[in-house]
Amino acid sequence: MNLSPLDWLIIIVYLAGCMAAGIWMRRFVRGVEDFTVAGREMDVNLGIASLAATELGVVTIMYTAQLGFEKGFAGATIGVIMALAMYLVGRTGFVIQPLRAAGVMTVPELFEKRFGKGVRWLAGLFVVLGGVLNMGIFLRLGGEFIMHLTGLPKDSHALEWVMTGLLGLVLLYTVMGGMLSVLVTDYLQFIVMGLGIVITSILVISDIGWTTLVQKLWLCWDGTGAGVGQTLKAHPFNPLHESNFGWFYLGWMLIFQIAVVTTWQTQVSRVLSSKDEHTAKRMYRRTAFYFVGRFALPGLWGAAALVHFSFAGGLPEGIDSLTAMPAYLATILPIGLIGIVLAGMLAAEMSTDSGYLLTWATVIYNDLITPCVKKPLTTRAKLMITRSLVLGIGVFLLFYGLWYEMPGNAWDYLAVTGNIYLASVFTLLVAGLYWRGANASGAYAALVLGAVGPITFLVVNLVAAKEKQIAPEVAGASSFGLAFAGMIIGSAIARRPPANPANEASI
Amino acid sequence: MNDPFVIFWTVMILTSVVWYGFLLFYVGAKGAREIKQMTKTLESRSR
Repeated sequence: MNLSPLDWLIIIVYLAGCMAAGIWMRRFVRGVEDFTVAGREMDVNLGIASLAATELGVVTIMYTAQLGFEKGFAGATIGVIMALAMYLVGRTGFVIQPLRAAGVMTVPELFEKRFGKGVRWLAGLFVVLGGVLNMGIFLRLGGEFIMHLTGLPKDSHALEWVMTGLLGLVLLYTVMGGMLSVLVTDYLQFIVMGLGIVITSILVISDIGWTTLVQKLWLCWDGTGAGVGQTLKAHPFNPLHESNFGWFYLGWMLIFQIAVVTTWQTQVSRVLSSKDEHTAKRMYRRTAFYFVGRFALPGLWGAAALVHFSFAGGLPEGIDSLTAMPAYLATILPIGLIGIVLAGMLAAEMSTDSGYLLTWATVIYNDLITPCVKKPLTTRAKLMITRSLVLGIGVFLLFYGLWYEMPGNAWDYLAVTGNIYLASVFTLLVAGLYWRGANASGAYAALVLGAVGPITFLVVNLVAAKEKQIAPEVAGASSFGLAFAGMIIGSAIARRPPANPANEASI
Repeated sequence: MNDPFVIFWTVMILTSVVWYGFLLFYVGAKGAREIKQMTKTLESRSR
């Protein structure tokens, strides 16, 4: 166990502060709009803190560090592209401006105004399935990080119990205060998480030294380091090199990231909670560069872990490219600082979990349940349903993502599910907002083709030999192409006036 | 160290550390004020 009493004290103070703030916000919840979109009272800096905290979880830190371990600094190129996408959308207001102006609570709600109830319901189902299954991997990966950093025993069920306890705390304040609690705890978590990230980055740079780190990365790449060999298979600095991402992948990433920042419901929920569309645009512009650090700083830790283990006889037994970073950090973080960094990582995990739980519960309530309810519900009943949904998703995640071991190909499945969501919903959003010729038939065709494409790729990759499998960028780009083709062809075949022309004018 | 990509990543990573440090204080101060304002508005709305 790597934690001292001082580290424990820091963690307990952080958790107690978070819980107190989260539960305190319950007193301001008067209705579903307060619970789901914070009464639309969120201002720009609170939005920056919430957006940054939600979109930077331990799962992100683990994967971006793995990219740094496998691709060097060039692994952070996706962060640069995401920042560019955020800035472009914040500058132009592409999708987010009309979306916020429409005054909806979720993305599928907008589809009802444009394409009718059926499309709203089906799109809501896609959003929930993609989102909840995607979230299924968060708890286990977050737990892996905590296990390696703290040195907790792996043979017991410590990981499961720690993460169950953490999710229990998150559920408590999210169920009580909804988005209001999420915003205030996100703010605290943004501060603690930021502190942990800055301290760790400075420690990593001072541990190895910047010039030494760069020189040793070159040695890991060209394999001339004495006794090291080529431990890095991709060019550590040039993302365009044939051994690294390459042009096609990066071009595809730009389109993909524009779809993510305009469509992914947890990001969009901050747009919908903003005071107005100008606040939403400012929030995007000012958060943009944060996404460079989201990839570059954990990427730096991963690259440092590669250098450290490459020059220390290789990876220890039981450690792989995913867990090398926390194993390395455990060797350099001193007493007291390990408590702050761990509190920061718990903050990252909690803010992401709370934001995601609330978002998917809101979509289920707003887009799957509400359209089927004949009689209007009381405010109390609406709140009770939304709170029960948050709790239900939490319980589902515990068993699906933590206590139940997913099979190996679950990762492929999750990537494909994410594509189904993004390809179809992004197509519906862009066509619904910017193309007057789009209609319900086109929307159904886009939803079906956006799903059929990725599932076909999943099946092909399951049966095909490894060298004949379809690359993720080809699969992803084709899913978007199929969804857009479905929208254009479906709308052209069934050319007729929109389902509700009166509403169309107001979007 | 003169490789343009090395210079690019050096600038990106060091700027990120500084930017994260700056946001801690800037968003920390402004965000606290916004939470206070938001709770005031919500409280007056519910009266």
